Amino acid sequence: MNTIQYTGEHLWPGQLGHFFVILSFVAALLSTFSYFSAARTEHDSIVSRKWLNMGRWSFMTHALSVIMIFGALFYIITHHLFEYHYAWEHSSLDMPSEYLLSCFWEGQQGSFMLWTFWHAILGLVVMRTAKHLESRTMAIIALVQVLLCTMILGLYFGPDIKIGSTPFMLLRHAMQNAPIFSTPDYMRSVTDGNGLNVLLQNYWMVIHPPILFLGFALTLIPFAYCIAALWKGDYQSFIKPLIAWSLAGGAILGTGIMMGGAWAYESLNFGGYWAWDPVENASLVPWLTLIGGLHTLLVYRSTKRAFIITFVLLLLTHLLIWYSTFLTRTGILGKTSVHAFTGDGTALTYHLLAVIGLLLVLSVAMLVWRWKKVPRVQSEEELLSREFWMFVGAVILFLSSVEIAITTSIPVWAPLAKWITGKEFAPPTDPVAHYNNIQIWVAIIVCLLSSMVLYMKYKKTDSRKLGKQLGISGAAALVFTALIALGQEISSGPHLLLLFAACFGIIASIAYGITVQKGKLKKMGPSVAHWGFAIMLMGILLSSYNKHAISLNTSGMSFGLKKNSQNETIKENMENVIMFRGMPVAMGEYWATYIGDSSVSGKDLRTYYKVLFEKRDSISKVVTESFMLYPDAFMNPKGEKGFSANPSTKHYWNRDIFTYINSAADKEKNDTSTYLSHTVQKVGDSVYLNNGYMIFNGFSNDIKDKRYQSAEGDLAVKARLSVYDVNGLKQEIAPIYVLRDRQYIIQIDDTVEAMGLYARFGSLNVYSKDSATVDVQVRQTNPMDDFIVLKALVFPYINVLWIGVILMVFGFIISITDVVSRKGAL
Amino acid sequence: MKKTHIVLLVLIMAAIAALISIFGDFSSYETFESAAREPRKSYYIIGNLDTTQAMHYDPKVDANHFTFFATDKAGNKSKVIFNGEKPRDIEKSEQIVMMGYMDGETFHCSRIQMKCPSKYKKDQIAVGNG
Repeated sequence: MNTIQYTGEHLWPGQLGHFFVILSFVAALLSTFSYFSAARTEHDSIVSRKWLNMGRWSFMTHALSVIMIFGALFYIITHHLFEYHYAWEHSSLDMPSEYLLSCFWEGQQGSFMLWTFWHAILGLVVMRTAKHLESRTMAIIALVQVLLCTMILGLYFGPDIKIGSTPFMLLRHAMQNAPIFSTPDYMRSVTDGNGLNVLLQNYWMVIHPPILFLGFALTLIPFAYCIAALWKGDYQSFIKPLIAWSLAGGAILGTGIMMGGAWAYESLNFGGYWAWDPVENASLVPWLTLIGGLHTLLVYRSTKRAFIITFVLLLLTHLLIWYSTFLTRTGILGKTSVHAFTGDGTALTYHLLAVIGLLLVLSVAMLVWRWKKVPRVQSEEELLSREFWMFVGAVILFLSSVEIAITTSIPVWAPLAKWITGKEFAPPTDPVAHYNNIQIWVAIIVCLLSSMVLYMKYKKTDSRKLGKQLGISGAAALVFTALIALGQEISSGPHLLLLFAACFGIIASIAYGITVQKGKLKKMGPSVAHWGFAIMLMGILLSSYNKHAISLNTSGMSFGLKKNSQNETIKENMENVIMFRGMPVAMGEYWATYIGDSSVSGKDLRTYYKVLFEKRDSISKVVTESFMLYPDAFMNPKGEKGFSANPSTKHYWNRDIFTYINSAADKEKNDTSTYLSHTVQKVGDSVYLNNGYMIFNGFSNDIKDKRYQSAEGDLAVKARLSVYDVNGLKQEIAPIYVLRDRQYIIQIDDTVEAMGLYARFGSLNVYSKDSATVDVQVRQTNPMDDFIVLKALVFPYINVLWIGVILMVFGFIISITDVVSRKGAL
Repeated sequence: MKKTHIVLLVLIMAAIAALISIFGDFSSYETFESAAREPRKSYYIIGNLDTTQAMHYDPKVDANHFTFFATDKAGNKSKVIFNGEKPRDIEKSEQIVMMGYMDGETFHCSRIQMKCPSKYKKDQIAVGNG
């Protein structure tokens, strides 16, 4: 037993936090039981009422406890209590305060807490709005909260068997073998934490996880309503809230996913906004099933058809959220994902599998139990009806999600496949092409359907009117397709079809909004969302089809015809170019020059690399446009993984120029240059440099330099020098010489970074009143010692993509307000 | 037969066709030896960096050319040419997953994923001068 009395620890926040973890668990359990009893005793309104109140109070207690857990952990992180493993692992003293919040969701316990938090908040909303479905929906929500709470419970049964892991674990418990904990005052030596992974020190890390987890949490509510409807056998009253919640889920989860894309685009060096990475796919798959389920739900509302598929899709959506947690948190994706989640070992794997199994059994059991009694329509639907094609679209979305899920899950089913076939399956060697080749057809069909169904009516559509409306849009779309295809040189068959589908989608959705809906914004949710979807596809097509590198390596490597994908990949890797300081490199229509780097002092550990882009007139060589990009990198953060780069992008309305550093010279190691002395006497004397010359303009004692703090008795003088580079460009510098207290000499260098020039006022030799010489010491770094390896990509029309996403989400919001503001049950 | 059934049948057939085609896309984990049996066909190889032999990367000559030696799971050693910049800290990697093909005696690699020792796994703490 450990008998050491440790000093310097702050145990109360952890104990308080742990108390609330247990309270939230117990309260959720009580709430589940009470709500369950309330539903079972519904025939007896007095008893049921009592249970209902108990369920409410215990759920509110639960919600409050969850907030208190947050508060306790927040206190620990903001007060830098590194005796707690979580604070030590995820935060550090020098971390800017805005990232303190991101520490929460960097770790696994924190992200489970965030998820629990959103469930609790949404649960409170459901409690107030679900009316007579309250007892059943809340019983399910509270049940899921019980399961989630076990994730942070941290109950240990021996060294390897545990249920959940608590965020309030002490450092000395997490690392029991470390020798440091044999001293009672170990806290004196634990002065700082590990800090946040530099990749995550980004404002997207502050905003993206909460939105994404809200999206995850929002899938629980449709799940709860589905179970509640089956449980009660009431297949009518759930429709309106279920539509509203599914719309909210679609909007928020979609926003969260695309925010991840924007984050990747803006600050990670994926070279794009979407890489079909398993972690991205894991949240896309439930979004697809949610959107499918939402549409079949609309079919059900109007025709009472498609009940089963609606329930299957919406129940599955929430299960897939758990499955995506399983994929991303247990480390099972391991070698297939670039995302740096570390697994929490087998305990978490079995824990999550148990939860998924439980919820799956519950869903299947409810469906089977009610299978015979659920609403069905015997008659056949019309071919030209909205419900028929919406159903088809939903099935296609579902199949699309199945394909993504199968490929993403390769590491999950590979062991089984190996046992059967003996082959060790790996992801496709070119995953992006793999997904694109299949999903482009889904995009084409879904885009065409999404705009066509707007014009169709439920039950029966006038085929001649429909043909006329769609014919006009189709003809207009053909014209635009031809124009864009010519302008953008799009020639591949599937891409032309996608281009047509997107044009058609854009035109038909606008036309529907104007001609049929007469611009009544309140009803225009679907047309705006479908319009946004078509615009997003257009943006994806234009930005990816003509995405190209301008930083081509032309160092003698042949770029013959690309025959197979291997060569394509090699080409991809040929897209890095080395840039020596001061030497212009041709990049597309630009000349790019690496000017130098600037380490910004203070908390920012990044090094910014200045790269000047200039466009010159082809005849007169006059610079017509110039801009500076600052791709940056963390050089050696805390001695961990050495180099992590962030891109810098120049945005035009119609294209982005996207650059990032792949490698940079270690200047300290390379720079071997030394100072050479030059004596100047009179104004006009010159000093010759490697790449220019310098003229002495005399002395001055008018010193305004931030680096010089004057003191009494100082004799300070600066040498005014004009530096001319080979192009004749002039720059003024003034190294300073200070004689302090008649004994100390302080020299303040001045530099011309673009020329790698360091000038120092070496010494001042006064011979007479009018005669003095200055020893100007000059050091010039070899430009070949300072270089960066840069990749520059052009993304045409990427703004179209972002506009489409925003419009789509806006469409969802219009629809939500419309549904919520409607009176009555529907 | 209902129209829904016909459409579902068509979709299921399309899905099966797609499924067969996607299985054709899947790659497999091989060794240098088994990959050499199908030259110029891309596979994944899991292995380690052979630290006993020299790595070579000179961005001043070619920023996209990095050569090193690796040992696969079966213990075979091979020279690897990576068409790209040298991944930082590859020296510290515990395991590397290389995607590429064998051509003669060398493995031409176009993508590398490294597994580095997690900073949390080390049972050590950075001790400050308190």
